[in-house]
Amino acid sequence: MDINTFIAQFISGLSTAMLLFLISSGLTLIFGVVNVLNFAHGSFYLLGTYFAYQLMQLFNNFWVGLLVGAIGAGLVGMVIEFFFLRRIYGRAQEGAFQLLMTFAFILILDDVVKFIWGTEYKTIPKPASLAGSLNIGSVMVPSYNVFIIILGLLVVVFAWYFLTKTDTGKMVRASSLDRIMLGLLGTNVPMIMTLVFGVATAMGGLAGVLAAPLRTVTPGAGVEFIIDSMIVVVIGGFGNFWGALLGALIIGEVLSFGILWMPELATVLTFIVMIIVLIVKPEGLLAKKAVGRK
Amino acid sequence: MKHKIFSLLIIAAILIPFTIVQGAETIKIGALYTMTGRGGQYGKDSEVAIKIALDEVNAKGLPGGAKLDVIITDDKNPQYAVSVAKRYITDEKCKFLFGIISTAIGLAVTEVSKEHKVIFVGTDHAGTDLTANKFQKYYFRSSNNTFQSMMAGAYYLKDEVKNWKKIAYIGPDYAYGRDQWMELKWGLDKLGVKYDVVGEYWPKLYEPDYTSYITAIMKAAPDVLVNGMWGGDTVAFIKQAKPYGLFSKMKYFHVDAGGNYEALAGLGADMPEGIIMSARHHNNWPETPANKTYVEKFYKAAGRYPSYAAEGAYVGIHMIAEAIRKVGNANDTEALIKALEGMKIPCPEDPPGFTSYIDPKTHQIVQVQAIGTTVKNDKFPPAKYMLGNFKVYPAEKLWPNFEYIDYMTKVKGK
Repeated sequence: MDINTFIAQFISGLSTAMLLFLISSGLTLIFGVVNVLNFAHGSFYLLGTYFAYQLMQLFNNFWVGLLVGAIGAGLVGMVIEFFFLRRIYGRAQEGAFQLLMTFAFILILDDVVKFIWGTEYKTIPKPASLAGSLNIGSVMVPSYNVFIIILGLLVVVFAWYFLTKTDTGKMVRASSLDRIMLGLLGTNVPMIMTLVFGVATAMGGLAGVLAAPLRTVTPGAGVEFIIDSMIVVVIGGFGNFWGALLGALIIGEVLSFGILWMPELATVLTFIVMIIVLIVKPEGLLAKKAVGRK
Repeated sequence: MKHKIFSLLIIAAILIPFTIVQGAETIKIGALYTMTGRGGQYGKDSEVAIKIALDEVNAKGLPGGAKLDVIITDDKNPQYAVSVAKRYITDEKCKFLFGIISTAIGLAVTEVSKEHKVIFVGTDHAGTDLTANKFQKYYFRSSNNTFQSMMAGAYYLKDEVKNWKKIAYIGPDYAYGRDQWMELKWGLDKLGVKYDVVGEYWPKLYEPDYTSYITAIMKAAPDVLVNGMWGGDTVAFIKQAKPYGLFSKMKYFHVDAGGNYEALAGLGADMPEGIIMSARHHNNWPETPANKTYVEKFYKAAGRYPSYAAEGAYVGIHMIAEAIRKVGNANDTEALIKALEGMKIPCPEDPPGFTSYIDPKTHQIVQVQAIGTTVKNDKFPPAKYMLGNFKVYPAEKLWPNFEYIDYMTKVKGK
């Protein structure tokens, strides 16, 4: 393989990985802190997209759409956590209730979107400044893909700073380890959980707006990411933020080079990687064994 | 005697209104469409077209003053669709099964139709199997199959695209995507076209990210890239491929569903100019009064232009109505089948001088295929490009093709 082909596939994989990371990091954050496997996470991706679409109809500005899409999805996430999910925490068979409730929200939010915006495909154009392409050596790379990679890396840096250097971040980490103890120490744990749910769903919304100029804005689009996001989370380790980054990078690059070398197997490659990880390290690559939680 | 006449008059007075009520029956059609998720638009558009067709049919009238009524249910998946189809027949007493977007669901429901001897008019799903190796006499289709599109495509590649040798394919990894590629290669081989396949790519249906496929295709550097995607997948692929300059480096060829209006609308100004596409119905071709009226009626009813799926549903309702008119009722299924076989059915997509008809041997509607290239045209907003420069392929050159049906039966089984 010549160096140009390698660079082209590597950057393609990186761009895929960063979008996957933005979606699955929210999913894993919710699982790690709130202990909810949020099947409706893709619906927040969808809501973010449609909020942005609506704003762009009014202001014709991608950046306003990006901001409002992320914040809007986060606010809806907080409302859902506060009024609905909170009711099932700690119940017997909480897992089954989580599954039913979050799955119900997939259907409800999808129908809300269909009711408000219709079933036709909508378009969110790229910002004009990112519509072109860059040349890296003799490899052509769309500017927008480079922007997604850079933004993904910025999110990683911000998350690292927030989780390790700020008091709130430390409390978030503590609540993922032992929320009862944290509560006994006087921390408002329910508020932390609502906030984390909001931030995580906002990241889903952000990913939705970022992906919209490259994909189809249509009801049902959010569901398509849940399987891939779950695979990323399983590979990295459930509830592990950095695991989501590693999982997304692995899946992005395996897919990218797999498509080049064995396109017939492209659709099963991610599952093969997941199976290998589950055999070698069932708890996920970055998860600690037998973590005492909650 | 007077008493007898008086009694007969009373009996007649009682029975005549009863007979009229009996004659004015409602003939139920049980339809299944995808109403949610990605394919939801096709179901919604079909629903609008069904309503337009029902108004036309009921206004024109049916024998005995009968009325058509259509029940629509979201088909979800093959198992669920089969259970609904059975309920339609046994509980709702539907005389016809109707609709269906997905070939996989169509293949499941055709078995119900066969088992219960109820006519099933398929209006959208395009898998050739249903009118070829999986043919059963109760099944009819009111829109073209993928073989008709791909055979027309083979003619186009032979006659209109110059100096090409290397070809690659990308299509969804299920029967619809696989069949198109098999059919195009079969057509090219039949026409004696020599080519080298330099890549085959099989992303999953609804794949959101084609970036790595695009860079792999660019490396393979085909002269012609054939795409077998539909709907939102087409939109996503084109949006992602454009900044890589893919459309200027190879001929892009997408002739079953690439030119679907919903994809043209979804892409808007992002649609590249001059790429080769087609669809099962074009809002801007042919420019006949019938097509214009159909598109205008749809726009008036829905506030948007129709996707291709609507036309199949519209034509399907007219097919059923015409068969009932010929037979005089909806109860004699065998007579209805005879009425449908060979039936000429005017469709919005018929160019002047041609009327679509049902092939009596395969029950497939036989239609011309028009392949064009994208040109700037903002008369059907939000689309900014529509197809133009059409090349039209006569219906008889495309279907029926019993040689291909034999080949397909050998490859895929009955």
